[in-house]
Amino acid sequence: MYQYDDFDRRMITDRARQFRGQVERRLSGEITEDEFKHLRLKNGLYKQLHAYMMRVAVPYGLLSSTQVRKLAHIARVYDKGYAHLTTRQNVQYNWPRLVDVPNILDELASVEMHAVQTSGNCVRNISSDHFAGVAVDEIEDPRPYCEILRQWSTFHPEFSNLPRKFKIAVTGTPGDDRTAVRFHDIGLRIVANAQGEHGFEVIVGGGMGRTPVIGSVVRPFLPKRHLLSYCESILRVYNLYGRRDNKHKARIKILLVSLGVDEFRRRVEEDWEATRTPELELPDAEIARVSAFFAPPPYEKLPTSSDRLTALALGRDRELGNWVKNNVVRHKVPGYSAVVVSVKVPGIPPGDVSDTQLDAIADLADKYSFGHVCVTHTQNLVLADVKTSDLPQLHADLVALDLGKSNIGKLTDVITCPGLDYCDLANARSIPLSLEIAERFDRIDYLNDLGEVSIKISGCINACGHHHVGNIGILGIDKRGEEFYQLMLGGSPGNDASIGKILGAALPQNEIVDAVEKVLDRYLVVRESPEEKFLETVRRVGFEPFKQAVYGAAGTADAGGE
Amino acid sequence: MGNHWIVTGNFTESGAVAWRRADGTWSQRFVESGLLPDEQAAKRIADTANATEQREISDPYVIEVRADGSTLDPLSARERIRANGPTIPMRRPDSGLGRGKRG
Repeated sequence: MYQYDDFDRRMITDRARQFRGQVERRLSGEITEDEFKHLRLKNGLYKQLHAYMMRVAVPYGLLSSTQVRKLAHIARVYDKGYAHLTTRQNVQYNWPRLVDVPNILDELASVEMHAVQTSGNCVRNISSDHFAGVAVDEIEDPRPYCEILRQWSTFHPEFSNLPRKFKIAVTGTPGDDRTAVRFHDIGLRIVANAQGEHGFEVIVGGGMGRTPVIGSVVRPFLPKRHLLSYCESILRVYNLYGRRDNKHKARIKILLVSLGVDEFRRRVEEDWEATRTPELELPDAEIARVSAFFAPPPYEKLPTSSDRLTALALGRDRELGNWVKNNVVRHKVPGYSAVVVSVKVPGIPPGDVSDTQLDAIADLADKYSFGHVCVTHTQNLVLADVKTSDLPQLHADLVALDLGKSNIGKLTDVITCPGLDYCDLANARSIPLSLEIAERFDRIDYLNDLGEVSIKISGCINACGHHHVGNIGILGIDKRGEEFYQLMLGGSPGNDASIGKILGAALPQNEIVDAVEKVLDRYLVVRESPEEKFLETVRRVGFEPFKQAVYGAAGTADAGGE
Repeated sequence: MGNHWIVTGNFTESGAVAWRRADGTWSQRFVESGLLPDEQAAKRIADTANATEQREISDPYVIEVRADGSTLDPLSARERIRANGPTIPMRRPDSGLGRGKRG
């Protein structure tokens, strides 16, 4: 993974030192909360319902075991003993004291980490495929480009005060997008042209939030050397023409929709022709330099293990078999597998990991996976380079840590925002629904029978829980001070991207999980075969059978949503 | 007793929820909140706190509560959760480590 140079180190330690001074001035009363707010947000420090919340940047989700141990240490010493994995591959602490935050930043800086680009109207932490570097279907590792974009965008003076926040994702698997690339301000898909050269399909203007939009292709093929200059032109057009009068209309997706993709493209290309200079060209040597940080680890030469994987999946140990079937993914190197560690456990808020578990995960990463861990946007963890022969022992080790659930991609692998239990913006709680779903449907045969189906829950329209792209989406709303929930069906974040639609009238909290169960029961009845996935069934039969299941025949006529 | 108003905010140093007592000091305990019968008077107190108590308290504001005998209940779900804390487990039960369930 990328290692800081002296410049990176100085930049981060300087930032931590500056923030220490800012905190001291706030605590002494020298500056007011209004003056301090934008300073703390530039360092990932929010104020939530019960406490401050600190969001730590994890570029493209990748962590070394040393960094994981540091995160455990911070959780133990400065917080309440746990950290939370976010839907942008970052890590959050829910209870830091302001007075401790400068020390936390120093601790982070000591392991080449920080909290910049996790808040504010700047280019945010760049996300990527959690199987980057090991995916069988990957045409090129996207992480070097994420890192190049990170270095280019960090503290970029022209883009430090954009109309609104700006999110970029990069995927190297054009055939199977795992990054929701079409729901980002800029989505970059590495593709090959007719000559076999790799470049980027540039997608702009996707997003969730209160106005969900699927991004548009602005350039089908961008040569790699132009990556920075072209992204710079996109951001410049956005910076110039994006709305600043209304926060809810300020994202680039609104600009792109209002201009139309052709006019937006024309303005970008015009700016690009006028401003691109040789200094912004990305030389092959620079790509090679950064790529060297992501060189494959020293894999052993092993025979192919697909037969062994099949044998484990079908073996007599059914719990191990289900885990291999659901949580283990084929690896591009023979004899190795990628493992998704489920952080979706009944009774535990999704994505919460304790200090003890973090320490243990770091040990497992060292023992089994070359010392690296990746945070997924689905709030799980990936050990990407595990010898297939080690899988039974790794599974046993994870079970002992209460991290051995076999539910990846299944109903109980729910994406959930913090919701009204923590978040200052939320209208309704999300985590209790997730816990109820985990409890009620925690039956492996039932989960396997349902197959691939996703539930995503957001406690407000900002959509941190990605409800728009859940096969089943749940959105919390406020009705006269009480929590209600809209049920949506048909969303997908992947190559077949679609935005879910509201099934009917919002339901109170004590009815929403029952409604999910009715939808699932109806799916099992109307699917053509066990092979037909939930999303395929919804697309084939439409909403009517599900409306009847949830609202009854009488309820279908007026079940038009809020 | 009907509806009343109380002044709340967050302690600057810790970020913890702060409730203004009747004597003008601040508490982390919701039940110690001072009840104010007049919303406008409560807002004036919050504005004054914002102007003069920044060092101790951040972003003071007013919420409406239902006061019934000895019980005090915020009217909105948001403020009920602020008053009582998260409604979910706050950390993983590490006592389970080493004897986790399979499956």
